[in-house]
Amino acid sequence: MSAPDAPVTAGRPDGGRPVATADLLPTADPREARRVVGRLVADRPVLAIASLLVLVGGAAAGLAVPPLLGLVVDIVTDDRGTGDLAVAAGLLLVAAVVQALLTGVGGQLVVRLGESVLADLRERVVGRALRIPLRRVERAGSGDLLSRIGGDVEIVSRAISATVPTIAGAGLTVGLTVIGLVVLDWRLALAALAAAPIQVFALRAYLRDAVPVYRRQRILEGERTQQLLDAFAGAPTSRALRIGGARLDRVRETSGAARDEALHGFRLLARMFPKLNGAELVGLSAVVIAGFLLVDAGTISVGTATAGALYFHRAFDPIGTLLMLVDEIQEGTTALARLVGVASIEPPEDPADPATPRDGEVVLHGVGHEHVPGHPVLHDVDLRIAPGERVALIGTTGAGKTTLARLVCGIDRPTRGAIRIGGATLDELGPSRAADTVLLVTQEVHVFAGTLGDDLRLARPDASDDELLAALCTVGAEGWVTALPEGLATVVGEGGREPTTTQAQQLALARLVLRDPLVAVLDEATAESGSAGARELERSADGALAGRTALVVAHRLTQAATADRVVVLEAGRVVEQGPHDELVAAGGPYAQLWGAWASARER
Amino acid sequence: MSTAALSPGADGPAAPVAGGRPLLRQVLRERRRPAVVSTLGGVVHQTCEAFVPVLIGVLVDRAIERRDAGELVLWIVVLALLFAVLTTAYRVQLLTLVGGLEHGEHDLRTALARRILAAAGIAAPPRPGAVRSDVGGSAGAQVTVAGSDARRTVDVLEAVSVGGAAIAAIVVTAAVLLATSLPLGLLVLLGTPPLLYALQLLARPLERRSGVDQARAAEAAGVATDLASGLRVLKGIGAERAGAERYRVASRRALDAAVRAGVAQNLLLGANVLISGAFLAVVAWVGGRLALDGTISIGELVAAVGLTQFLVGPLQRLAFASTLLAESRAAADRVSALLDAAPDRDDPRSADHDDAPPPRSAVALAVAPTAAGTPALDVAPGEHLGVATADPAVSTALVHLLAHRGEAPPGALRVDGAPTSDLALDAARGLVLVADHDAALFSGTVRDNVLAAAAAGLDLDAVLDASGADEAVRAIPGGLDGQVGERGRSLSGGQRQRVALARALAAAPPVLVLHEPTTAVDAVTEARIASGVRRLRDGRTTVVVATSPSLLAACDRVVLLGGDGVLAEGTHAELVEREDAYRAAVLS
Repeated sequence: MSAPDAPVTAGRPDGGRPVATADLLPTADPREARRVVGRLVADRPVLAIASLLVLVGGAAAGLAVPPLLGLVVDIVTDDRGTGDLAVAAGLLLVAAVVQALLTGVGGQLVVRLGESVLADLRERVVGRALRIPLRRVERAGSGDLLSRIGGDVEIVSRAISATVPTIAGAGLTVGLTVIGLVVLDWRLALAALAAAPIQVFALRAYLRDAVPVYRRQRILEGERTQQLLDAFAGAPTSRALRIGGARLDRVRETSGAARDEALHGFRLLARMFPKLNGAELVGLSAVVIAGFLLVDAGTISVGTATAGALYFHRAFDPIGTLLMLVDEIQEGTTALARLVGVASIEPPEDPADPATPRDGEVVLHGVGHEHVPGHPVLHDVDLRIAPGERVALIGTTGAGKTTLARLVCGIDRPTRGAIRIGGATLDELGPSRAADTVLLVTQEVHVFAGTLGDDLRLARPDASDDELLAALCTVGAEGWVTALPEGLATVVGEGGREPTTTQAQQLALARLVLRDPLVAVLDEATAESGSAGARELERSADGALAGRTALVVAHRLTQAATADRVVVLEAGRVVEQGPHDELVAAGGPYAQLWGAWASARER
Repeated sequence: MSTAALSPGADGPAAPVAGGRPLLRQVLRERRRPAVVSTLGGVVHQTCEAFVPVLIGVLVDRAIERRDAGELVLWIVVLALLFAVLTTAYRVQLLTLVGGLEHGEHDLRTALARRILAAAGIAAPPRPGAVRSDVGGSAGAQVTVAGSDARRTVDVLEAVSVGGAAIAAIVVTAAVLLATSLPLGLLVLLGTPPLLYALQLLARPLERRSGVDQARAAEAAGVATDLASGLRVLKGIGAERAGAERYRVASRRALDAAVRAGVAQNLLLGANVLISGAFLAVVAWVGGRLALDGTISIGELVAAVGLTQFLVGPLQRLAFASTLLAESRAAADRVSALLDAAPDRDDPRSADHDDAPPPRSAVALAVAPTAAGTPALDVAPGEHLGVATADPAVSTALVHLLAHRGEAPPGALRVDGAPTSDLALDAARGLVLVADHDAALFSGTVRDNVLAAAAAGLDLDAVLDASGADEAVRAIPGGLDGQVGERGRSLSGGQRQRVALARALAAAPPVLVLHEPTTAVDAVTEARIASGVRRLRDGRTTVVVATSPSLLAACDRVVLLGGDGVLAEGTHAELVEREDAYRAAVLS
């Protein structure tokens, strides 16, 4: 349904703001990705070498089976008696025991190696991802980061835990089968190679035709999930508007498209099987014919010929497995490259000697800002907020309130002018010190999954339960929290109890209290919770802001009325500022606004 | 508006089913053809696979040992024929099975979506005994059911097809061995069941444990996604390091769990290798003795060991099919719990296909007092009524009643004197449209959203102007054709709310109920919206449930509701003048 002139956003996972591809987070090239993983493996040399040796041993023990069966055949053809037969059978048993032991142990070693490499990698990626400047993440669209540390980590995990051991096992079996055949007789090995060209041909056709279909299929499945979420989360709305039929049609459409693409993919996959079976037939026939000729020439025994045929037969399944996994290997490599790309972003470093803010004073001097060059959103803003002062920022949508709030918090850098917190610029403070000094609470609520206590402790990991309760008390939330049967141990967020918007916002304010910054910026933190909730939140905010320098982007004028000073922004300029009563008396833009808000009160 | 699409029976399993097992039976009944054809294809394919080692034996016996070129050519031709049948049968099995799975999954998903979107809704507390307590709850849980559980349910087809083929392969193998030699055949035939049983015995607890461990491993992914979704909030409070540390802890726990799961899986793998390898040794020993005796030929010996090696495959597939069946049953329980979920409000007349009511402009609305605490309210035709409460619970109860959500006594709501309980829910909601302040947007363009429920002859510009959405649209990249993103997430809260308001105004219902429509917009815009809505809905019955002074000031009449009924009424100005309670509710 997207307009023809908006191709950039079409098909993007978040379908959101137009984002140029160049702005996505970086992706490493596959070689770099492999190098990073190689280094992580090399950090565990003993484990890596042990895994390899044990797996090779296990596969080798398995490959002793066909020659031993060949030996049984020879014992029978040469009529060597039951003693020799018992020895051969006993050797078969030993091979089984050894193979079982080494396979079981080797598999565990591979899992241990793969999982610990994966854990290192994902921790590095997530740690980095959280420290990337917000403006960089936003430029890429927040869906980009989410899909990497959500989706790509999972794809790589699956590849490491499921695909890698399978590939290792199958690959070793195929490789050692070739070696086994060469050891048996090189001419048998040569005959078996007759299958290879057909397999290569089948694989190339498959990669060419089916892999793009699989990719498309995954995109369609993603769209299907998104459509389901859209429809189900919006079910109350579609019932009210009686558009459930249209929503159902969309679900049916996307699900049908995913189904058709999957069927298409399987038809292509089904085309590969005759080729693979053909390769098996050609290879097996070649080995048998070679065996026939060699036995006829007296070069090898019947048992050796039998062993050759059985060898080849045994390799059928592993070869099929390997061919089927090629796509997953490619997918895993792509996801890995995207992860390594994130890990390679250098987060901003703290200065060697970070400045200490003298107090909570905030000074903006000649601050101007342009998101897009040539389109200024703020002009020449001068503003001084005294330590402990509370300033309310008022203005219409697009007046630049949020931009100003973000500049003060250091999320964006002003294009012109300077911002000082307690006498130091944000650069002099460095990211860590700045994050301790100025905090931002926006109308965006997110309750982190886990217990209530866990959620709050993100702000101060070492806080005691009493400290948490004290913070909740400050924001007026101790009532409903202690009323919960499990109190601070209540599981909230995804999969747990969903707090109301008001409660979630109170938690956000409690986190602010726990972090205890000198300066707090609230960006419409009381919006979106209904008017009654907004009033309750205003009281919570009062508690949270007590004793701090505060810049409050106000949505309800009552918030402005209780602030020490009101600043009115219009089209990126400060048009009026002063205490509420003075501004109301002055009869300027703010007085008009207040009149519309509380019209009757003035009569 | 295609309400007909929501009626049962359009496609997919429609008849109500109770519990997982009946649902599985129903899926098998409806997908009879693919189930039978793919099982047959599987049986033929597995039989052919079983004959490959037999033919290797024949080739060794008749061609290689006797050095007979004619026999060599003959049996290689037979081998080629066998492969031709084998590959065709496999194609048939794969394609019919996948067809059945994909179509079955799609139909089941459509049925689930129809149930979830149905006008009747899903009761908030699930019926007692429901398998999953959150089945009617979060949209995320419903997506899991309609997304992956729908697929797992129809996987019963695969379990039948793969399991049937595996059993066939075991039977064929045993039959060939019995025909070759009674002792060898008996050895395989009697040896296999205990072998299978031993494997199952080992597998069950190991699989259970590894399942638990795998679930724990997946938790780390949940923590990562959670942190990334809350990135702005996390960075706002400078908790990046605490977040990373929390992820590290989850990741280490996942690592331990994954390693434990790996131990279990590989123990099982090792046991598998040991048991089948040992069995092969026994067969080789017994077969070798029989061949030494001359009871069987060398070719038969080769075939016997080849078949024993081959037998590992069907045995593993049989175990796979039984796991699949168990998963399918568990998923079917969840699917049927959602399909059969109790309705939020019974909709007995939905089958009458009442279409949208005839367009009327000025209708009267009457609310009777109910047990839920909503007081009597009368709204005159064309009136703009403001409803303010000091207690949000009272306004929520009223809005629920007006929205026809939850059960209500018949006649609780009357439009022009006629009780809406006599209508299908869709028809009733066509008369009275309740626009919630947190209404959802749907992915698509702004225009798609505004026009989603639009009445005929709509003046789009007037609606955008009245809702203040025009200003929001100017700020959205792409304007009206800009994408709103999944659930409108690309827009700010204020933009979302105004687009949703425009959508409700565009629907032009006889009665429009606006519940706190401006909670996320600034005071200036709110004042604009108040007068815009007043102008656009002039002469049409409109109820504004809000505590915003600007919205209430634009109404003809305002009532102040308390827990016990109407506390006061008059114009906004009058109430502000004389009612302390009103001032406390609205202006504090």
